[in-house]
Amino acid sequence: MRNVIERALNLLAFLLTAERPVTAEEIRHTVAGYGQEDDAAFRRMFERDKDLLRGLGVPIEVRPTDAWEVEMGYVVPEEDYALEDPGLTDDERAALALAVQAVRFGGQPAGVDAIFKLGGAAPPGGGEPLTAELGGGSVLGEAYRGVVEHRILRFEYRGRRRRVRPYGIVHRHGHWYVVGAEVGAPEVVKAFRLDRAGGLAAEDEAGAFTVPAGFRAADHVPEVPWQMGEEPTRAKVRFDPEVAWLARRQLGPGARVVEAEDGSIEAEVPVAAEAPFLGWLVGFEDRAEILAPADLRRRFVELVAGPR
Amino acid sequence: MTSPRTRRRLTRILSMLPWVMANPGASVEEVLERFGYRHRRELVDDLNTVFVCGLPGYGPGDLMEAYVDDDVVVVAMADYFARPLRLTAHEALGLLASGRALLSAGQGSETLARAVEKLEAVLLPDDAEPLAVDLPEPPLVEVFRRAAAEGRVVRIEHVSGATGRLTSRDVEPWSVFSTLGNWYLSAHCRRAGAERVFRIDRIRAAEVLDERFEPPEEPPTPEVRYTPSADDVRATIRLGPEAAWVVDYYPVDVVATEEDGATVIRFSASDPKVAARLLVRLGASATLLDGDEVAAATEELRRAILRRYRTSSEGSSDE
Repeated sequence: MRNVIERALNLLAFLLTAERPVTAEEIRHTVAGYGQEDDAAFRRMFERDKDLLRGLGVPIEVRPTDAWEVEMGYVVPEEDYALEDPGLTDDERAALALAVQAVRFGGQPAGVDAIFKLGGAAPPGGGEPLTAELGGGSVLGEAYRGVVEHRILRFEYRGRRRRVRPYGIVHRHGHWYVVGAEVGAPEVVKAFRLDRAGGLAAEDEAGAFTVPAGFRAADHVPEVPWQMGEEPTRAKVRFDPEVAWLARRQLGPGARVVEAEDGSIEAEVPVAAEAPFLGWLVGFEDRAEILAPADLRRRFVELVAGPR
Repeated sequence: MTSPRTRRRLTRILSMLPWVMANPGASVEEVLERFGYRHRRELVDDLNTVFVCGLPGYGPGDLMEAYVDDDVVVVAMADYFARPLRLTAHEALGLLASGRALLSAGQGSETLARAVEKLEAVLLPDDAEPLAVDLPEPPLVEVFRRAAAEGRVVRIEHVSGATGRLTSRDVEPWSVFSTLGNWYLSAHCRRAGAERVFRIDRIRAAEVLDERFEPPEEPPTPEVRYTPSADDVRATIRLGPEAAWVVDYYPVDVVATEEDGATVIRFSASDPKVAARLLVRLGASATLLDGDEVAAATEELRRAILRRYRTSSEGSSDE
């Protein structure tokens, strides 16, 4: 491990000070640690070291070494290498370190090493840290890259290959969504669930689109599933006393609730997507009842009666 | 592939160097604590590694200087590592989303809120708000967390997600956690005489009792996923294409995928009502192929709901 680290430090020091693209051959003969290897061994080692540094966040770019573009070399642009100082205090770093330990993404914390880059933090003390699993995993980083670097994302969704301009990324109801517009239809902003997006990858071109002014990603993923859609109708539902408390917790924003003396409630709920709403009501079995509108009530009865 | 340990170590070196250079006179103690070195030895190893690296030529004037002098960490001749490395996309997202998640849950301090804002200012482009994490904390989470910390027994009223029955039980709360949008309490349930995991939004009320309990040395890692057991009811269900989402939400075995996009699944649950509710809500997009208990429960559920709608005439007169 020590050899790998020494070689990587030497390589990075060289790339950062070269101020021009340097070829693999030059690296091989100049940077300590590569000299004695044969061609194949050098290639393997060099590829591995590049991957290691890139994985850490080092922007190693490939550029022509001269105007004729005959030879390609490697360069680390200094302005892209460094982290812009966010000006954190020690207290703020400690708070971030605690947050990073509390949250998991597919079983793993993310950003632990980032605390080092920000200047480290004393170990968080005291208190039982809560843990929250947000899911997601490795594809999240790729989606995020698309969002911050304005790269188009390619993925398969509901049986179709798509190219989407990712304007934002949202975690809600336990799922990650990429919010954006498909290339060719920049006006139609949609939410795509990340766990249903197959083979997601960001395209090479950065700055491929501009984000609509004042865009707020959270506005495009509704807080309850039945708000997904346009022009809600208001449904009036009675919930019996023994389930009223449970219903209240799940009604979502925009619902108006009136409690009766017996503890039952009448809720007026904005419903834009009927199917998830009716499905949710089935969960209350015979302890909830749609009072209005009449056609929604009728469709619920038809759903419950079952296919004929 | 390079091992995660190597990556971690290199990241730490490339982070420690600029910090020491920016904070001359930093003590060994401070560097150990700040960068999570477990022993002085670990730090000295890193400094020794740095000491033999530098620029081509690799003579005394080309190598970096890194050593401990009188309990002070010294780094020199390493200007090219004077600035910390930028974050990877995964790290940046991890930091921001972790911070946002705690703030959303009402667990974040003002300090954390300030930290997240400062980070967002340098990490996110534009004046837009491209990242949001919504993890609302239901009532009672704080009650259970405190009871777990104090080792106090709590009496809860909990409604089962499977049967819909409301029960009262005394529990010894071990931990509170959130996974995929829901909040859970892991506890020893005295009624069941075993470990149980309760969804907190299904707990109607909680009363912290005076009685205390001795928490286990190492509570088991809570398991949220439903694991089928021998007593479970089973059913075979054919899902139409519009009901394909069921496979993502329920622990099912996919038996076959048909040409028209339909999926045949094996569904098992601790109570037939779970499958019954699913079948009713799916309407024409699901067909029960096999499972007598589930068929009976489904018919019973249909009848119960329809009875209510028949005996009441509301809705037809209203609006």
